[in-house]
Amino acid sequence: MLEGLLATVLDLELLRTYGWRLVSGLWITVQVVAMSCSMGFVLAYPLARARMSRRMVLAWPALAYVTFFRGTPLLCQLYIVYYGAGEIRPLLSEWNVWWFFRDSFYCCLFAFTLNTAAYQAEILRGAILSVPRGQVEAARALGLSPWRVLRHVVGPQALLIALRPLGNELISIVKASALAAIVTLLDLMGQTRFIFARTFDFTIYLYAALIYLAITEAISRLWGWMERGLARHLVPSADTKPPARRFGLAGRGRRAGALPRRA
Amino acid sequence: MPAFELLFGADGWAPLLVKGALVTVALSLATVPLGFGGGLVLALLKLSRSRVVRGACAAYTTFFRGIPDLLSLFIVYFGLQALLNWASNHMGGGWRLEMNAFVAGVIALSVVVAAYSSEVWVSSLQAVPRGQPEAAMSLGLHRGQVFRLVVLPQLGRVALPGLGNIWTILVKDTSLISTLAVTDLLRAASEASRATTRPLLFYTAAAGVYLAFSVASTIGQAALERRANRGYEDHGSRARGVA
Amino acid sequence: MTRMKFLSLLGAAALLAVAPALSPAAAKEWTAVRIGMDATYPPFESVDSSGKIVGFEVDYANALCAKMKVTCTFQNQDWDGVIPALLSGKFDVIVSSMNMTPARAQRVLFSDMYYATAPVMVAGAAIKGDDISPAALKGKSIGAQSSTVYANWLEKVYPGVDVKLYPGGDEPFLDLASGRIDYVAGDILVAEKFMEKNTNCCRIVTKIQRTPDIFGPGVGAAFRPDDKDLAALFNKAIAEADADGTFKTIAGKYFKIDIRGK
Repeated sequence: MLEGLLATVLDLELLRTYGWRLVSGLWITVQVVAMSCSMGFVLAYPLARARMSRRMVLAWPALAYVTFFRGTPLLCQLYIVYYGAGEIRPLLSEWNVWWFFRDSFYCCLFAFTLNTAAYQAEILRGAILSVPRGQVEAARALGLSPWRVLRHVVGPQALLIALRPLGNELISIVKASALAAIVTLLDLMGQTRFIFARTFDFTIYLYAALIYLAITEAISRLWGWMERGLARHLVPSADTKPPARRFGLAGRGRRAGALPRRA
Repeated sequence: MPAFELLFGADGWAPLLVKGALVTVALSLATVPLGFGGGLVLALLKLSRSRVVRGACAAYTTFFRGIPDLLSLFIVYFGLQALLNWASNHMGGGWRLEMNAFVAGVIALSVVVAAYSSEVWVSSLQAVPRGQPEAAMSLGLHRGQVFRLVVLPQLGRVALPGLGNIWTILVKDTSLISTLAVTDLLRAASEASRATTRPLLFYTAAAGVYLAFSVASTIGQAALERRANRGYEDHGSRARGVA
Repeated sequence: MTRMKFLSLLGAAALLAVAPALSPAAAKEWTAVRIGMDATYPPFESVDSSGKIVGFEVDYANALCAKMKVTCTFQNQDWDGVIPALLSGKFDVIVSSMNMTPARAQRVLFSDMYYATAPVMVAGAAIKGDDISPAALKGKSIGAQSSTVYANWLEKVYPGVDVKLYPGGDEPFLDLASGRIDYVAGDILVAEKFMEKNTNCCRIVTKIQRTPDIFGPGVGAAFRPDDKDLAALFNKAIAEADADGTFKTIAGKYFKIDIRGK
């Protein structure tokens, strides 16, 4: 009876035949997103530091990198990595890295990581700069080494400010990962297109949409929970805006753009 | 064949790339009124008193912000096609509505841009001090006039940074249209690289053009912000010693 | 210009751009036919440097349209979505080297066959040996365009092998040339055209038997099931093009072998 009820809402036959494909695609998507986001984060901190550095030899290349990866479409970057690697294959073989660029999973990982590192670097840079300089100066005056200043003064505050934008960036990567299908990687979007080409049934796109929606909503809620937990000690004052507005990034739905918490 | 020959020679591909770049610019500009305007309408609806209306708008925004833009484009594109089909069938007399891919692309992009920009519009609507519309109404202006003369001119200033962000996203999202067989810049680069098997040359050329658009947009946005902010002083951050 | 005037001008311009596109078009008595093709398939259809779609099927379709006394326009459409686009009314006929498989015949109406060529297995330059049995190909990667008869054949015959599917018709060959994949299953003439421009990239290993359930008898034009009158017009034109030698002339310009098939 439950089946009959479900059958009116979902197309069970479609799911029965092709459901495993969607799951397999979802797993690839999760892998690509998790790996590229975390590697991007690792890359983003030194990049942010380079951007803020006073030495031209560090600051200019960092600026060029960030401008390029934020100023061009991800699809274009993906094409350059994927098809470009094919074109310079002899060179890559010589350097013994052809095995990496031969695989579409690794190509996507490479392109996504470089891309998200640029965005995360800008987020971290803004967050670090938002910590009042007076605190850093006071900490140095007290004799704390630069590492300790980062670990105890700047770091915790910057990460808290960066939390919301980094969550948005994670959601962006989840959505951008759909582009991997265009370079033959059978992630969730790729499997969806495959199934559509077989069945011509439009509803498969709606199922994929629901799955993506579930993922992004889950991330959104998880992030909101983390933010509430980590920012418990803060009391929003009348004239400080919530962090999201400072970067011009309004939050999702009514939660984020809504009124500040009453302490 | 040397790169110069491939681009500018007798069978050169540069003209096609230029045409593609123009299509990209046209796509972006055409989406602005529909997308940003739609976002403003959506924002106004989100602040309405009816819970149903607010809920519907929230659902729309959550849906299109939560799924990949590529998927949104597909859904709107094929959905529009189905809609036109249904309309044609019911119009009788053997008439059929057509829509070219460019227009379909504009509508698909506008649906997504409206969802993104509605958030920005909502926060900028909320940033207008409440006292002003109240004062205007007590002076006898009715609601339409209050919006047009008091609120709207101020919206631009607050919304500009957020909208500028979305504009950059829009220009880059036009590249997704290339998967729907509209010959924009990226599609032109694809076709050129396939015919000549020189993907690096053409895709980096395309990236260069997008970069130029991006830099131009940044400069333009900074200029617009300076103009919109004349007469306003920044009290907060400088006083508190934040960079 | 004041800001409001500028904004309303922009809005009006946008509306003007949209309006002509939403034009009603009369169907039923065919004076204008829109042809959809996936122009990533040289020498049958491809895009040249001025952005025009060119190729054997373009010339052939133009000849058929001249015989039917209709004006034909060509639209580029990605192969994956070509049948949904036809069914939803984006264009009226598919002339894009579509093999007439039984599965497709359930969705669309096919014209008479107008050409048939051999499917082939193409190997990259690094592959020695001609054995393409499933056992020999274990651990290798084979490419084909997605939603084609070649992709279906690969899935049936090589279930355990890594099959890579590409959106464009020429893309598998590009990856074959760069060594990313080891084999490609595709059409013999498309392969030969690619190898013309990229010598030493690859070689044709063997022809594949055209089993009717996977490959069908040959290539035909596809119509919506309701458009029987348009299909009849096309069939008449195809027969006429055979009779007065038009097909032979056009095919002769592109191919050295006879592709008419029966």
